[in-house]
Amino acid sequence: MKKVFSLALGILAVCGILWFGVYHLSQSQGPVTTKNTLNLYNWGDYIDPQLITKFEKQTGYHVQYETFDSNEAMFTKIKQGGTPYDLAVPSDYMIEKMRKANLLLPIDRKKLTNFKYLSADFLNKSFDPKNRYSIPYFWGTLGIIYNDQQVKASEVQHWNDLWNPKWKGQLMLVDSARDIMGLTLISQGHSVNTTNLAEMEAAQRKLDQLSGNVKAIVADEIKLYMIQNEAPIAVTWSGEASEMLAANSHLHYVVPSEGSNLWFDNMVIPKTAKNKKAAYAFMNFMLEPENAAKNAEYVGYATPNEAAVKLLPAAVRNDKQFYPANSTIDKLEVYQDLGQTKVEQYNDLFLKFKMFRQ
Amino acid sequence: MKKVKVSSIYLILVFVLLYAPIFYLIFFSFNQGGDMNQFTGFTWEHYATLFADQRMIQIVLNTLLLALLSSLVATLVGTFGALGIAARKQKRLRSTFLTLNNVLMVSPDVIIGASFLILFTSLGISLGFGSVLISHIAFSIPIVVLLVLPKVNELDPALLNAAQDLGATRWQTFSRVIVPFITPGIFSGFFMAFTYSLDDFAVTFFVTGNGFATLAVEIYSRARQGISLEINALSAVMFVFALVLVVGYYFIDQYSRTRRQKRKNHQKAGVMIP
Repeated sequence: MKKVFSLALGILAVCGILWFGVYHLSQSQGPVTTKNTLNLYNWGDYIDPQLITKFEKQTGYHVQYETFDSNEAMFTKIKQGGTPYDLAVPSDYMIEKMRKANLLLPIDRKKLTNFKYLSADFLNKSFDPKNRYSIPYFWGTLGIIYNDQQVKASEVQHWNDLWNPKWKGQLMLVDSARDIMGLTLISQGHSVNTTNLAEMEAAQRKLDQLSGNVKAIVADEIKLYMIQNEAPIAVTWSGEASEMLAANSHLHYVVPSEGSNLWFDNMVIPKTAKNKKAAYAFMNFMLEPENAAKNAEYVGYATPNEAAVKLLPAAVRNDKQFYPANSTIDKLEVYQDLGQTKVEQYNDLFLKFKMFRQ
Repeated sequence: MKKVKVSSIYLILVFVLLYAPIFYLIFFSFNQGGDMNQFTGFTWEHYATLFADQRMIQIVLNTLLLALLSSLVATLVGTFGALGIAARKQKRLRSTFLTLNNVLMVSPDVIIGASFLILFTSLGISLGFGSVLISHIAFSIPIVVLLVLPKVNELDPALLNAAQDLGATRWQTFSRVIVPFITPGIFSGFFMAFTYSLDDFAVTFFVTGNGFATLAVEIYSRARQGISLEINALSAVMFVFALVLVVGYYFIDQYSRTRRQKRKNHQKAGVMIP
């Protein structure tokens, strides 16, 4: 009994010390009230921590930074309430879903004094017409990543180049129905948002022809495989690509000029917001070109902030891999929510391709 | 002689297998390259970032506090739960309780987490330390019950009868006979609950809020960006910390044991120690 009892006391003592530590840390950031707190809900490691400190110093608000690991998880938390999130950063399709579920508050453009810095190329997309509910935070593309030790740049400039018999068993694809079906549709001159079954089936038949070239259909592992020279070519997103490029100098990323997917992570004010004033202050702060540029350098994704792009180092700014030419940007398409049945058709056709045997 | 050799080689192999991933992780926490693909040079940089990251440190402290407190309470409740289940006379009732306990063990964390979220929000309990603590206690109790129960069942009823025959009160029987006997079960229950709480992601994710986060939630949500070596550095610090704790406990235990032994010897010889 004594042994158990003394252990319990010891644990309580340690708890006391830990609690003191937590208390001390939270006190050093000033007292917390709803009025001076901004509840920010973002992806993990998706903002430069120095910017949060700067924002706190500049405005006196205290930022409670919480993180999520998937759009769906974030959706559940916001839908249920429980925490008064003032600002969240969902991806494009999720914004549409949240909008339809009435989980978002409209953004008052008048209070958003720094809205003018955003490039028109990244506004007014189908998931949020006229940006009534969301403000672009980062954007990116789908493209081809290749290793210049085995592949010449001229050999992979277009989606159709993936079908080249030369790449037998060398291609890696991301396991995502909309993306892979989408690139095939683009290669056939169709929209990534087509709901025409004939076009979709034609795309699947064309994809079947690709299966000989495919080495693997994988998820996040692509990053590791490409860095370790496991495959010479892969299809992936620009965000992932920027990390691969940083780790292996032989890798290059191409956004085919005929078009591709354009994806977004945007800032929104969820219905749970208690401190809208702080939310606007933070959005204005993040839209400040200097801050947006700093954040883009930290995260490594492309910023939609036109003025911020000008502040980036020339090597980044002129990098056609992540800031493609305007003619290409014009051809990029965002995914629309096609409704349950169409999404299932896309998934089924993609599954058929995955199971295809020659 | 040969037999001993094979078994010790096997033992070494097992320990190498168990510890290699941890040391691999720690090794790369000193990597200048910024990722875990190639070791390019030595640096303390990741440790510097870690200790400068106040939010991270707060999360670590919160996680430990939560794990200790929740497993402590769960051990208390779970131990009495196990005693209660074992005390049921009818076998039917006993197995019913045990099955109900096991249902909680096998039900998926996601479902438990989601139901807690719905419960807390409908009751108007604000999400944060309290909500996470309650849910951690809740999912730890079945584990403790499961680990303490075998010990309780091993307890010989004759021991209890003997204690009562010798005039022990109920409290004395409990504190001097039952608890010492089931102590190993209580300890393993506590440590199991502690580890469960430390690395739970699914339940915790749903019930965190208002700025409170645990390590598991934070690390998972960093996965999209690629987990930085700061996490490696953190793992290294926690590993060394745990090592120091275990080694420290061992020496304190040894010390008190030898002292007790000495005292006993002296008492036998009729000498009192002040």
